[in-house]
Amino acid sequence: MPGITAKSGVICPAGLSETENTAGNKPRGPLIEHSGRSAGMPVKEPSHQVVPVSEPRSLYLHIPFCPSICPYCNFHKMRRNEGLVAAFLERLTEEAGALYAHFGGELDTIYFGGGTPSHLSDGELAAVIAILERTWGWPAKKETTLEADPLTFDRNRLDTFGVLGFDRLSIGVQSSQDDVLRFLGRLHRGHEGLAAIDMALEAGFNVSADLMTAVPGQDTARDLHTLAQTGVPHLSVYTLTIEPQTPFARRGVTVDQDRDADDFELAHTVLHGYGLERYEVSSHARPGFESVHNRVYWRGSTFFGLGPSAASFLPVRGAIGERRKNHVIKAWLAGEPAEVLPVTAEDYLLEMLMTGLRTRHGVELDTLAARTGLHLEERYRPVLEDAFKQGLLRRVGRRLIATEQGLLRLDGLLRRFFQQPPQD
Amino acid sequence: MRIRNFSIIAHVDHGKSTLADRILDLTETVSVRDRKDQMLDTLELERERGITIKATPIRLHYTGRDGIAYLFNLIDTPGHVDFNYEVSRALRACEGVILVVDASQGVEAQTIQNAYLAFDNGLEILPVINKIDLPNADPEGAIAELEEIVGIPADHAVKVSAKTGENVEAVLEAIIELLPEPTGDPSAPLRSLIFDAVYDSYQGVIPFIRVFDGSLRRGDVVRIISTGKAFEVDQVGFFQPEPAVSDSLGPGEVGWFTASIKDINDTQIGDTVTSAGNPCKDIIPGFKPAQPVVFSGLYPTDSEDYGRMREALEKLSLNDAAFTFEPETSEALGFGFRCGFLGLLHADIVQARLEREFGLNLIATAPAVVYEIKTTDGRIRRIQNPSELPPPDVTETISEPYVMMSVFSPEEYIGGIMKLLQDRRGVMKDMVYHGRRVELRYEVPFGEILYDFHDRLKSLSRGYASMDYDFLDYRPGSLVRLDILVNEDKVDALSVIAHRDKAYEVGRKIVDKMATVIPRQLFAVPIQAAISGKVVARATVRAFRKDVTAKCYGGDITRKRKLLEKQKKGKARMKQLGSVEVPQEAFLAVLSGDE
Repeated sequence: MPGITAKSGVICPAGLSETENTAGNKPRGPLIEHSGRSAGMPVKEPSHQVVPVSEPRSLYLHIPFCPSICPYCNFHKMRRNEGLVAAFLERLTEEAGALYAHFGGELDTIYFGGGTPSHLSDGELAAVIAILERTWGWPAKKETTLEADPLTFDRNRLDTFGVLGFDRLSIGVQSSQDDVLRFLGRLHRGHEGLAAIDMALEAGFNVSADLMTAVPGQDTARDLHTLAQTGVPHLSVYTLTIEPQTPFARRGVTVDQDRDADDFELAHTVLHGYGLERYEVSSHARPGFESVHNRVYWRGSTFFGLGPSAASFLPVRGAIGERRKNHVIKAWLAGEPAEVLPVTAEDYLLEMLMTGLRTRHGVELDTLAARTGLHLEERYRPVLEDAFKQGLLRRVGRRLIATEQGLLRLDGLLRRFFQQPPQD
Repeated sequence: MRIRNFSIIAHVDHGKSTLADRILDLTETVSVRDRKDQMLDTLELERERGITIKATPIRLHYTGRDGIAYLFNLIDTPGHVDFNYEVSRALRACEGVILVVDASQGVEAQTIQNAYLAFDNGLEILPVINKIDLPNADPEGAIAELEEIVGIPADHAVKVSAKTGENVEAVLEAIIELLPEPTGDPSAPLRSLIFDAVYDSYQGVIPFIRVFDGSLRRGDVVRIISTGKAFEVDQVGFFQPEPAVSDSLGPGEVGWFTASIKDINDTQIGDTVTSAGNPCKDIIPGFKPAQPVVFSGLYPTDSEDYGRMREALEKLSLNDAAFTFEPETSEALGFGFRCGFLGLLHADIVQARLEREFGLNLIATAPAVVYEIKTTDGRIRRIQNPSELPPPDVTETISEPYVMMSVFSPEEYIGGIMKLLQDRRGVMKDMVYHGRRVELRYEVPFGEILYDFHDRLKSLSRGYASMDYDFLDYRPGSLVRLDILVNEDKVDALSVIAHRDKAYEVGRKIVDKMATVIPRQLFAVPIQAAISGKVVARATVRAFRKDVTAKCYGGDITRKRKLLEKQKKGKARMKQLGSVEVPQEAFLAVLSGDE
């Protein structure tokens, strides 16, 4: 049974660049040749030195099956049908095999997301795990997370999760209030979500819980206190977002702007009192319990994505890297190749602002310059100067960090970067 | 063959096009298969809006009761005041007109205007009282009004219902009897007038002509007098109303020819066309160029269409000689053209024709009148654009154009109409009773009637009042330049000229509108309207309190980047004013003047 080991909570000291992670980890396969969008559109050879990102050491595996469909969710999900899981496993085996054959390596983090991964039976989970065991190895060196719905496990099953090798559980609690859960279309009750957290903590897992805010009728302060009081070391607090084409969007559900902002500030204040610090827009953790896996996304590192609709970020020649997006299940099962989007130095610069500025760690200017050959401070001087003046951004050493105000209005700030032509 | 050339003129909706349809039926000009309503409104826009924009000629054959075969050239003309110029050109090809008056409405503003146009051209007028089938028809009243208000003899007016066809044949007989036959010397050198033209991408310019002397046939070499250029005629023909080919056009005939005139500048409407080898002695007097009175900027939505737009404007100006255009650059909208029009409907029609006939997507700025500025150094100049206004300290006077507005209305609505005219700074000059109908004459600043005056007049009078106007002169007024400030910075493109008494109201409207169309920004942004630096109205664009995506994990990065890139593309025309992003729509909200 895994405990909360020191390594599961490791955070990179400030200034440590991701490129240093590659030391002693020679890629087995050659870098994939840049496949681009089409043969007719070669990526312009950059004049500056571009250093491709290093080999992936993280893996996301998408399990699209759900026991019920929530009206706010825009993730790829479905109810399971006869034979679908078997087909899923078969295709997953091929996909993992091909990727491993190309890149090889070992994994620091693995994340089973969905969908509801815990909706798979123990045997099915074991079958998925076996696929990874035969390739990169199982479990991951630093963090192996399973997304779990409160109704899909009891104390016994938690032991099984542990035996299978998971050391971190991300539990979709969403709220402690029955009416809010009903509104959100969740099947569990408030006390069942809280009990699930207690059990998982007791079983020795590193636990994260999801909480939704700005839900109509929700007493957000009560939810924040209740969840924090469970002692959970990591809380992901998401504003209810009405995504297009979801049932909520069709029903015309809206989120009140002021309520949204109030809850966002409230989350910060309340959780701080419990020692849970906001280290990313929606992520709060006790020091040492930040998600290692998610940091990969926010610091521009590469990662494998397996399963339908999963995204990958892979090293590629002639560009910084290549983002790939798998098709939804039907096309994915049919083996259709993923949609590919090359990431140029300029793209990468903007992506790092998009993701890095979400975190308390911020964007490492020198790491960025070393990878892209571009100097953010020169290319976007007017936007940056405005943002400094307006108190949206600050520079701490060689890192660019969003202030509280900057974090609140990050999208507006990012639009300025996207709309400003870079200065060569 | 005996010829009669005539136009049908009338106030809007008095039944010109319906009468033309009926005449076409009676003369069996159009086969049943091709028959449709508003036969001569050939533009898609005309059929859609039920109005005539272009004068359309057609040739008819009619055998009179006298047993003689006649050839009629009928030109259907627009009734709206904006298109008077179009009417006056059509009249140059005719010897007479049919003046149609609605028996239930009587004489209206445009009835008079059009009748005077016919007078000025020395044309014979045949009055026709239409819609006698309506229950409230008063043909005798209409006849009395024609005599009293218009001042033409009308006891011989033909009473018809174009809708039912009743008595329309009598109109044809009256045409033969009353309208003069054209005179012309078939053996003299060709002397013909271009009264209209269209551009065809294969055949080039197709001039519409009225032959006065001589004849024109295929193979002839003709000279366009104003440019001196000679062309060999490929084809000649007449209108049916689609072009039909014929052997020749003789004196008195109306038709068209093609001669591979590829450059639209090689000819112009009002030109005399003569024989290159044997030129005529007298040049036919051209048309007095139409004076545009309303100006607005037209800009391609896609800046790459600028070149195509110029071409379209040139081609359209061939067919609509009444609008002018010259390049203009706007801080907010990029490259476009400052266009002059004869009125608001004209502006609207030109924009719609450019968009439909040339596949362009255009943005129009608010129509404005031409102001006359006197600066302190004594110089006077006219400006079409408020942004050209000199600073207040060197401006001595700003003068605006005045019109003499005449309104016809049943007396019960006069009170409301007078109030409306007063609100628009009008000064009453005359008020004449014609039975139960009243004619009001007011001097009004033209700028005041530009926007919704006609609509207001119609709704005040349940549609019974009609209006017309003539330009008077420029008069200095208490006019001020209203500046718009976004985040404390003045935006030149948004300045407007307003009357001092109304400046607050105008400013209030503009800033409120801008504040609603500018998206929330990172910070609250003040929008102010100011006169000479003094703020008269203020509104605020609210700040986002929170504007950040909740989730951004592996799969979201691409999605988010695409979204931001898409927004960037969509905002290519977003104007950065200081740190404020102002979308083009915000400029348009002010510049387009839409309510």
